[in-house]
Amino acid sequence: MNIELMLESLRETSPTEALEPQAVPIDETFVTLPPDCIHAAVQVLVECFDLRHLSAITGEDTGDEIVLLYHFWDRHGLTLRTPLPRQNARITTLTDLIPGAAFYEREVSEMLGVAFDGHPNPRTLVLPDDWAGEPPLLRPEKRQ
Amino acid sequence: MSRITIPIGPQHPALKEPLSFLLTVEGERIVESALRIGYVHRGLERIFQNRSYVQNVHVVERICGICSHAHTTTYCQGVEALLGLHIPPRALYLRTLLCELERIHSHLLWLGVLAEHVGFTTIFMYAWRDREIVLDIMEKLSGGRVAHAVNVIGGVRIDVDQEQVRLILARLDELERQIESFLGVIQHERTFRARTRAVGYLSIEQVRSHCVVGPVARASGVDIDLRRDAPYAAYGQLDFRVITAEEGDVWARTMVRALETIESVCMCRQLLAGLPDGPLAVRAPRRVPPSEAVSRCEAPRGELIYYIRSDGSDRPARVKVRTPTLTTLATLPDQLRGVNTADVPTVLSGVDLCIACADR
Amino acid sequence: MSRIMHCIAHRIVRWARRKSPWTLHFNSGGCNGCDIEIVDALTPRYDVERLGILKEASPRHADVLLCTGPVTRQARDRLRRIYEQMPAPRWVVAIGSCSCSGGVFRGGYNVLGGIDRVLPVDVYVPGCPCRPEAIIEGLVLLLEMME
Repeated sequence: MNIELMLESLRETSPTEALEPQAVPIDETFVTLPPDCIHAAVQVLVECFDLRHLSAITGEDTGDEIVLLYHFWDRHGLTLRTPLPRQNARITTLTDLIPGAAFYEREVSEMLGVAFDGHPNPRTLVLPDDWAGEPPLLRPEKRQ
Repeated sequence: MSRITIPIGPQHPALKEPLSFLLTVEGERIVESALRIGYVHRGLERIFQNRSYVQNVHVVERICGICSHAHTTTYCQGVEALLGLHIPPRALYLRTLLCELERIHSHLLWLGVLAEHVGFTTIFMYAWRDREIVLDIMEKLSGGRVAHAVNVIGGVRIDVDQEQVRLILARLDELERQIESFLGVIQHERTFRARTRAVGYLSIEQVRSHCVVGPVARASGVDIDLRRDAPYAAYGQLDFRVITAEEGDVWARTMVRALETIESVCMCRQLLAGLPDGPLAVRAPRRVPPSEAVSRCEAPRGELIYYIRSDGSDRPARVKVRTPTLTTLATLPDQLRGVNTADVPTVLSGVDLCIACADR
Repeated sequence: MSRIMHCIAHRIVRWARRKSPWTLHFNSGGCNGCDIEIVDALTPRYDVERLGILKEASPRHADVLLCTGPVTRQARDRLRRIYEQMPAPRWVVAIGSCSCSGGVFRGGYNVLGGIDRVLPVDVYVPGCPCRPEAIIEGLVLLLEMME
């Protein structure tokens, strides 16, 4: 996995934003991209570098925004970070490029209320059928 | 031919854990299937945010009872990376020893369950009887058969002396003889091969597109193993083979796991022979400075990944867990298509599901 | 005469039930630690079959429900339905700390916290996970209660 070449190609997909590559333990490179560039960036990784192993999609509500992290791996780790607004969080699905993202996106969707446009089967994954509350991993407004 | 829908689960003799399937069959063949998980969802990722890092070691161990040590290893590795700790070599060797013993116990457990579902109850009894040897070794080392509580943030809390090493090596020899005897039976028993050959097939393309990991991926020809590709703990010092197969069916998965078990016994011997001297743990501060880390480990079922973010307090801001079974669950509809209803337990056992891991 | 025959038949049925309690195992949301120890109790080292205990496939054949797990919301209705499908007289054994009180998961948003929130429990076997010896002791206690 050639991180430098990948970063070069990723810069071409979002020339207006700085990627801010960051080395994170353990052997992981974090890169920040705007949400509308994620699909194009993953397309580059899949088609040009055959990087198809998506380990996980992490979602976190930091209080100010919802951050999505796409963790890729091919002998070294590469994570794409993207911030989404807390209200009306939406992003394009990756299931057309990586079918294995389907379960990860369903889980982020039910836990944080993020909508994945174009997901083939956007049902709940692990929450019960009669779940009527807020998405569980959203921080309640009064908590800091 | 008309189609009938058969519900399976959450309570079913073919299932060790609650999950629910709706199988649509035409005659004897399955045409499509739908899967529902979530019966074991305990909301652990939120529980982690309300406990300290030290308390979370206890909780993380109870995500899954079968691969509990893999979970604590990955978690402790992640927190140690956040703290920038340098773990003593003796602790890494002991941590790795428990990882490999857990792999042996998990694969023997799985072999017994598969054999029982295929109808070969004798192998179920033999495999679980010999699994007791591994549980005895783990109990001698840690005091617990299933939940060991070996890992602490900063190292391990157990130690072995020369006498214990000698006894463990003797028991490993006994275990190897037992495993090889019934592996010989499985490899040559024609009815077992007939039940598992060409059942639950996954091509290499299906495995790669679903990001499948672990023995299921290796049985379809994908050569990935974090112990070799991204060595953690003491794996960088060990000499071992990564077992792969090409057939992609339940038979291939059986052979991959069986040979991995033998390989793990050899690795345990290497670890005990090369155990370095030194302390068992370093002191870890309670508060973790703001940072983030991604930690990976090769659990018995494949790549286990943790993402941990710290915010300066003594509680993690976010702990994300993705377990290997979640990746194989997505392939079950593909595996079940075209299979006979009688082979459904074989397919389900062949992937070695751990729903407690998948649901968290 | 028919009353005496009825009494004798009744005593034989009670004796047979104590000598062969058939069990059904259900995991209502546990981590699997206790579940593998329950299955372990059937294997050659512990071998509960010598006490007449068999693990059954259907609730309709079972006398005793061995339940693990802290009861998640999704599992609650299914657990209730399984218990109702068991013919009377039936008993429930809560195995493991989770099924006694919720264990480490107590307070979780999807966890009810113990089998006794849903079903009447006859024997509690604590432990995290509990050993097969403890499970056997719990079952023997249940057999004594059946007398």
